Amino acid sequence: MIRNRADRRLKIVLSVTAVLVLLAAYTLVAHLQHLKNPDDTTIPTWRQLADGVIASCEVNHRSGERWVLVDSLATGMRLFLGLSCGVAGAVLLGLLMGCFEKIEAFFAPPMSLLAKVPPTAALAVFFVMVGTDTEMYIAMIAFGVLPTLAQAVHLGVKDVPRELIYKAYTLGASHCEVVWNVILRQTLPKVIDAVRLQIGPAMVFLIAAEMVCGDVGFGYRIRLQSRLLNMSVVYPYLALLAAFGFGVDFSLRRLQRLLCPWYTGR
Amino acid sequence: MTSGEQIVIECRGVHHWFGENHVIHDVNFRIIRGEIVALVGPSGCGKSTLLRAVVGTHPPRKGQVVVHPTEEPEGVVVDSPGRDRGIVYQRYSLFPFLTAQQNVALGPMLDKTNIPFRLFRHFQWRRIRKKQLEEAAELLTKLGLGKAIKKYPHEMSGGMCQRVAIAQALIMKPAVLLLDEPFGALDEATREELQRMLLTLYLENRQARNSKESPPHTILIVTHELNEAIYVGDRVLGLSQYWNWSEVGHDRSPGATIVYDAVAPVYDPDQERDFERFRDQRNEIRQAVFEPTVLQEREQFRRFWDEVHNGGGEGVLRQ
Repeated sequence: MIRNRADRRLKIVLSVTAVLVLLAAYTLVAHLQHLKNPDDTTIPTWRQLADGVIASCEVNHRSGERWVLVDSLATGMRLFLGLSCGVAGAVLLGLLMGCFEKIEAFFAPPMSLLAKVPPTAALAVFFVMVGTDTEMYIAMIAFGVLPTLAQAVHLGVKDVPRELIYKAYTLGASHCEVVWNVILRQTLPKVIDAVRLQIGPAMVFLIAAEMVCGDVGFGYRIRLQSRLLNMSVVYPYLALLAAFGFGVDFSLRRLQRLLCPWYTGR
Repeated sequence: MTSGEQIVIECRGVHHWFGENHVIHDVNFRIIRGEIVALVGPSGCGKSTLLRAVVGTHPPRKGQVVVHPTEEPEGVVVDSPGRDRGIVYQRYSLFPFLTAQQNVALGPMLDKTNIPFRLFRHFQWRRIRKKQLEEAAELLTKLGLGKAIKKYPHEMSGGMCQRVAIAQALIMKPAVLLLDEPFGALDEATREELQRMLLTLYLENRQARNSKESPPHTILIVTHELNEAIYVGDRVLGLSQYWNWSEVGHDRSPGATIVYDAVAPVYDPDQERDFERFRDQRNEIRQAVFEPTVLQEREQFRRFWDEVHNGGGEGVLRQ
């Protein structure tokens, strides 16, 4: 029946099987490709992939850098700073819009309009406004995630029952305490969920910008190595990106469980 | 009995309307310290609007609600919610992100400290917090919830949640505790259990009065259940949907007003309910409050103060 609970062990077996099927399918496709062309680099074999990983991790003889290290640092820092600014701005704006109808009336229309503009399409605007340094990446991620995230926070705040707010006042709360101790506490798990959903788009914005104007970072490296058809380096980078996204998502879920046990335990 | 310091809450000519919709019309009543007053009326007649006016979330458009806390006996006009009026709603009665104990301790935390104190005087705050949590646990244990103090609202039954909500309001020692159909969503057995809990609070009032002390709990409970109103209240207020009940066609005079105000029998918490005793008063309330087609003056039903002055009241109302 729909929504019948599945056995936990069965769920683990199914998840592992899905990954194994994916790996087996790749192995088969790579093998078939190398039967046609033994020097192929577009669908590398596992041995070629291992060479690509080694090449990414060891010190490069030209630049004297370990690619994976410098790229991870650059991309990670840009993503962290951009997301931090975007989340902070969105939470503040969403809270204000949810708490005050005048601010809502002022900001809600432009927010819903801006949420529809993909920041990658407005890349040139960011070049003009903030140049091509780190600030550009931060601005792009921040402005990319802010409208959608602010709308999510706004709706989350609107969802807080009025009765709870009234009750807080009868318990002696000030306006700030109602926001801090009631609205923010109740909205927090939804904010974390919304941030989790914005990790993917934020990475898309960043990688796209790095591909266009970066000189270091995941996007830059993937573009460079793709041009050289070094897919043995590109695929591990993609896997690393996936692992990075998964790691951030996993950390946020753990954070949600830690800060909001009432929400995750329901 | 009617001296200013014993009156806890007063509604003076309260009117309320939303646009063209006149919901409350010239409501006047005074509640004596230690009373449990049950407010009854047909669905949608404006009971909750009147309660909101008393809470202060929807102050009256015309007229005044005045609250008389013990520290300000001359009275304060209500224009916003305040810590002197505790409220328990039927739904959303607890903060879902706090355990039962934290829910009860929230009021003292908000009332006694502020955000800068809690942030910058952390060690002092922890000491105070420990004491507040202990007090909350003590109160919950007294109300039979000792084993639930670490539970979140979603882990408790509806009855337990309402009990915690009442504890949350009581710990603030409000001048008046307002209950907005608090047991409406509960099953019969749980409802009776909580009604008995209110009678236990009333028993404390009677004991306090007997020992010449100020009764600690004054309660205004909104309910649509007449038996409940007569059982837990020592007084029943009835709100009719239309104010001009002597005019033909009641829908021409929208706006609820008090048409019934009389004492009710007082029960001990462990005393069996006598439904026979309820019957006459229930019929009377039905006639006065629920039947707008009965074209008669309602003055005869607004007899509370005469009854009290003539020694008709029971419990804390006894002269």
